[in-house]
Amino acid sequence: MINPFGFIASLVYFKLAQKYKNIPFLKLFPPIVVSGLCLILTLEIFKIDINLYNASAKYLTLFLIPATIALGYPIYKNINLLKKNKRIIYLAFVIATFVSIAATYAFAVLCKTQLNITESLMPKSVTAPVAIEISKSIGAIPELTACVVVLTGVFGAMFGHKILKLIKVKNDTAIGLAIGCASHIIGTSKCVELKKEKQIVFSSLALVIVGILSAFLIPLFLKIVL
Amino acid sequence: MKKKIITFLNSVFDFIFGFLILLIFYFISFYLLRLLKINFPPAVIGLVLFSLALILGIVKEKRIKSACNFLINNMAMFLVPFIVGLISYKAILEKNFLIIFLAVFLVTTFVIVTVGLFVENGLKYLRLYRIRKLK
Repeated sequence: MINPFGFIASLVYFKLAQKYKNIPFLKLFPPIVVSGLCLILTLEIFKIDINLYNASAKYLTLFLIPATIALGYPIYKNINLLKKNKRIIYLAFVIATFVSIAATYAFAVLCKTQLNITESLMPKSVTAPVAIEISKSIGAIPELTACVVVLTGVFGAMFGHKILKLIKVKNDTAIGLAIGCASHIIGTSKCVELKKEKQIVFSSLALVIVGILSAFLIPLFLKIVL
Repeated sequence: MKKKIITFLNSVFDFIFGFLILLIFYFISFYLLRLLKINFPPAVIGLVLFSLALILGIVKEKRIKSACNFLINNMAMFLVPFIVGLISYKAILEKNFLIIFLAVFLVTTFVIVTVGLFVENGLKYLRLYRIRKLK
């Protein structure tokens, strides 16, 4: 029988991190980071083998497949918003995807990073389940991609609105698109926290469409440059 | 009481049914890609097909609503094992910490600034253009 430790521990730690997210210090980090780090600490302190954790925890990640497909629902619900100012919005999706891919690649080349690490960094602005699928399909390291994706999301959620305020971007459409394109679902959760309806809609649309575009463009880009 | 049980059973049925619909879209995409011999994430194709099915009215919104909302709201929870899995890549992470940190910091800022300025100024320009056209 499979040891259920990993599955149950992940659920319990995540729910606890969600419950206590308003505690002053924990407020700075999203529950996924807090629960992940606490689990790592538990494994290290009690010297629990990672394979024992993974034996059942891997079944939790299987839910990412239907979760990715479920993102079609917000697209369907907000399809009307896409029809207004559509040229600028569509162009923003393409620009965001291209800038993210090209800038990450250029940065990795400048730093002379190993190829598999460069590939793992490429889908960093894509929402996690799609990023992991992209990472697997291009032969990168999915765990490293997951880490970079989460860090990017946390960065966007913590500083995205501040950066946009600094450069005097005030339009909710522009803010939503910028946050969604750059820092996917974790950035979107910040818009939810601020209760800005228009920002939430555009941010969730952006994260889905940038995800789809990246899934097509990253393998193509790598084929051209390598 | 009887009504409450029926409503509860209905919501459970709707959830399971919605979940099964999502899985059907995954399997359709998986076998479609395999048939065409294309190396691509099947879940992404599933997402495109599912959106199209909803827009065209093939799949009804009320059937998938509860399953989709549950999965989207709990998406972060399914990622926890990936964060824990980083232990296996401790050496790579320690070696490339600065690169990863800088890539996240610089590239994300660059994307936020580019998209923010593009959309803000694009919308302003469009508004001015429409006003001029009206005059």
